[in-house]
Amino acid sequence: MNIFLRELRAYRKSVLIWALSLSLLSVIFLMLFPAFTKDTLASQKVIEHFPLAIRQALDISLQYFFTIYGFFAYLLTFVGLAGAVQAMNIGVGIISKEVSGKTADFLLTKPVSRAAVITSKLLAAFGLILITNIVFSLVSLVAANIISTTKFDNNIFALTSATMFLIQIFFLALGILTSVIIPKIKSAISVSLPVVFSFFIIGTLGVILGNDIVKYVSPFKFFDTNYIISHKSYDPKYLMIEAVFIVVAIAISYIVYTKKDVKAAV
Amino acid sequence: MNIIETKKLTKYYGNSPGIIDLDLSVEQGEIFGFIGPNGAGKSTTIRTLLGLIRPTGGSATIFGKDVVKFSPEINEEVGYLPSEVFYYDDMRAIDLLKYSGSFYKKDQKVIAKRINDLAAYLDLDLKKKIDDLSYGNKKKVGIIQGLLHQPKLIILDEPTGGLDPLMQQRFFALLKEENKKGATILFSSHILSEVQKLCDRVAIIKDGKIIKVERIDSLIENTNKRFKLETAVKVDKSRFTGLTGISDLVITDNSISFLYRGKINDVTKIIASLNLTNMLVEEPDLEEIFLHYYATD
Repeated sequence: MNIFLRELRAYRKSVLIWALSLSLLSVIFLMLFPAFTKDTLASQKVIEHFPLAIRQALDISLQYFFTIYGFFAYLLTFVGLAGAVQAMNIGVGIISKEVSGKTADFLLTKPVSRAAVITSKLLAAFGLILITNIVFSLVSLVAANIISTTKFDNNIFALTSATMFLIQIFFLALGILTSVIIPKIKSAISVSLPVVFSFFIIGTLGVILGNDIVKYVSPFKFFDTNYIISHKSYDPKYLMIEAVFIVVAIAISYIVYTKKDVKAAV
Repeated sequence: MNIIETKKLTKYYGNSPGIIDLDLSVEQGEIFGFIGPNGAGKSTTIRTLLGLIRPTGGSATIFGKDVVKFSPEINEEVGYLPSEVFYYDDMRAIDLLKYSGSFYKKDQKVIAKRINDLAAYLDLDLKKKIDDLSYGNKKKVGIIQGLLHQPKLIILDEPTGGLDPLMQQRFFALLKEENKKGATILFSSHILSEVQKLCDRVAIIKDGKIIKVERIDSLIENTNKRFKLETAVKVDKSRFTGLTGISDLVITDNSISFLYRGKINDVTKIIASLNLTNMLVEEPDLEEIFLHYYATD
């Protein structure tokens, strides 16, 4: 419990900045919605003239782009990217900072098992992600209700907004796994940025090239807006893939971390 | 009962050995010195005992419990101070110490009082941020952190670096007090004089192996001391004949230099009869002690 609280305290500023920035971004973007939909036909014409590849790269689907869901989902493509960076940063940092800050000796000579350390840190990281998402989703939902000129289904909107959460916990698990496997990580961002962007680029390229395999590789492509709108749920296939990945990554992390040698701080 | 016991404890880092077949036993209530040059395996042994690294062979117990299986349980009653202390820079000293205390099952009020008492004794400002503390003051945080739960076993890995002589004295007094109250102490160092001040018994380690375990008084008695004397007139060599344990005797116009091993009284009787202008007796350094053990073993 003390490690959990200590981590929440240590990250409180960072999580506040992330949650507020993402929320602000969402509000500003949603404010553009009325302007876009004022003359839907004209806007649609303009976008129709974009080459297909660009539309795909920008994740614009003509069918839903002019609904609040599609418009918001478009924003989520990029907010999800940012959120993935946040999540992976926390995942990599929350354990590796004890090594880079040379505090591992302090922590691990206390009467606490390695498993308990990783559990506390995992729960704290999960809590931080949860807080970010609750703030982001609530602000977005309220903003959408105020701004949108047409009525919409709050559930679908919430499901769309929660895709960020699903992307984030994927990268959180990946970050934790990375941090226990790579022996010494000097800064979390130097690991998380390239990894997150690689996944993002792979996903985008895959869509442009019409390669379906990437849909199973890049979490950015797991939760398709069109599917969410038509089914009012996520595609269970991808939920399954994500769940399996997270369970395996966390399990490996526990095994490695509890047996690992802690190098002397020099 | 032995507080610490290792049996053929071995640790390899990849292919390079850290410690090999190490047999060590530390009895309850003693202050046990662990001495050897840098890289001899002192820290490897200590880190294995603390559960920070896993042995590749052999076994070790503390309080009769296996260090691999029962590490958290053992650490409840162990206080550890490493040579280099690193803490969370964003915390104040008091926050860090309270965080440290929160891991132990003991009454937190007792721990809080103990933190304040120790800080007052060591002259440490608890309100300061860790980041703003000097090296010596960080060390004091380390000392308090290691002692705040009144552990039954205190493990110190070259702990005196950064402490000024006055603080070192207070620190040693503190350790002796804890020892009187029943704490067993494992004190690792490469400085013989500080081990000599504190320890009852000492193990000498080199290249991952224990060369000798001996009582500190007999160790000192059995090692060479370097005598450097300056005299008003040239002294004849014959004055030193009959003195056993003397070697490397060099006499020039008004200086005498020799190594001596044996009863101090015997040599001071001879020196007292000389017309001295200056005298210097040097502690044997570690190398000389090792040389001694290489010569006899």
